[in-house]
Amino acid sequence: MGGMGGGIILIPVLTALGIDIKHAIAISILSVIATSSGSASAYAHDHITNLKVGMFLEMFTIAGAIAGARITLASSPRPLYIIFGLVLMASWVVLLMDKHPSGQKFTQQDAFTRWLELEGSYPDFVTGQMVEYKAGRAYLGAPLMFGAGIVSGLLGIGAGAVKVLIHDLVMGLPPKVSTTTSNLIIGVTALAGTSVYLAAGLVNPGLAVPVILGVVAGAFLGTRVLVRLTNQSVRLFFLVILLAMAIEMIARGLQGIWA
Amino acid sequence: MNPLEPSPRIESVREARQFEMDTLVGVVLRDGVLLSLGLIVIGLFWRWLRTGGFALDYQIAGTNLFEFVTGEVGLAVQGSVRPRLLINLGIAVLMLTPFIRVAVSMVYFMGFLRNWKYTCFTAIVLIVLTYSLFLR
Repeated sequence: MGGMGGGIILIPVLTALGIDIKHAIAISILSVIATSSGSASAYAHDHITNLKVGMFLEMFTIAGAIAGARITLASSPRPLYIIFGLVLMASWVVLLMDKHPSGQKFTQQDAFTRWLELEGSYPDFVTGQMVEYKAGRAYLGAPLMFGAGIVSGLLGIGAGAVKVLIHDLVMGLPPKVSTTTSNLIIGVTALAGTSVYLAAGLVNPGLAVPVILGVVAGAFLGTRVLVRLTNQSVRLFFLVILLAMAIEMIARGLQGIWA
Repeated sequence: MNPLEPSPRIESVREARQFEMDTLVGVVLRDGVLLSLGLIVIGLFWRWLRTGGFALDYQIAGTNLFEFVTGEVGLAVQGSVRPRLLINLGIAVLMLTPFIRVAVSMVYFMGFLRNWKYTCFTAIVLIVLTYSLFLR
């Protein structure tokens, strides 16, 4: 769903239902494997995903995810609520600005990116032509992706929005390629995070099973409902929800500090 | 013709191979998720037939995926097949889906595309994932 709306919505809902935030994070990141793999399968099939970009950046995101999940395990719940609230706020601001950032297109590649063979082409379904593109600045994208991996493992979300921003703004991938490749990366990153949470005994099937089924059904129905709604009403809906959730999470994190 | 330039035919074979790989990756991801969901749904249905409820009230103790899977298969071999087995296997299949996708990509980069650079990158991803799956 547009790179957002998986874990970032799920976790506040679970914690509002009284589930401990670390359990909520563990279950969310497990369910992220299902949704990202499901949608990545369709796009890989259509030859839009760039597997080389995906494989190269995955090396960095999985290391970040393992580190992030370890930080969460060591941390107390309070800062997790606050960080989560801040990430919700950031998503809210990005949505409010409502600008789809488009990065520069690279015609000349730097030596490192060329060595990595990060270029490709994808079919444009409107014109039926193959669109060729070159990526750039992989030396900058890689460490940033490590950071995206940390966010993902730390908070149990796909962090698709962060990954898409790095693809678009830093590496100059076309929007379609950047969203679909980010989906591919999310699946592997979520697996690395899930392993850490499984080892810590935080994956509870009694909670995980209904959540996985619900999230997959939601993703399936969501794409069908979303196409019927106007972009403006969807945006307004998410603006309200995200803000409410951000305030709620931050309030929980701060609760009792001044009392 | 410059012998250093790859001939158009070879280039198109490469492209065709890349296309095959995209398709294969798509199939692995789709079938993995479907198999996992299937196991979970059948497990839930079976549990409902047995107990009349869908509630699952068990915990998975801190474990890694391989211990988790071998433990479940061990129980099945001993003859204690429970709905829980299917549900746990469903969760395991879900976790293994991206893992197998990476393994398939590595075989493809190595065996068909002969791209050693990307064989190495994929191998690194696979090693880190394997390490994470053995964590405990």
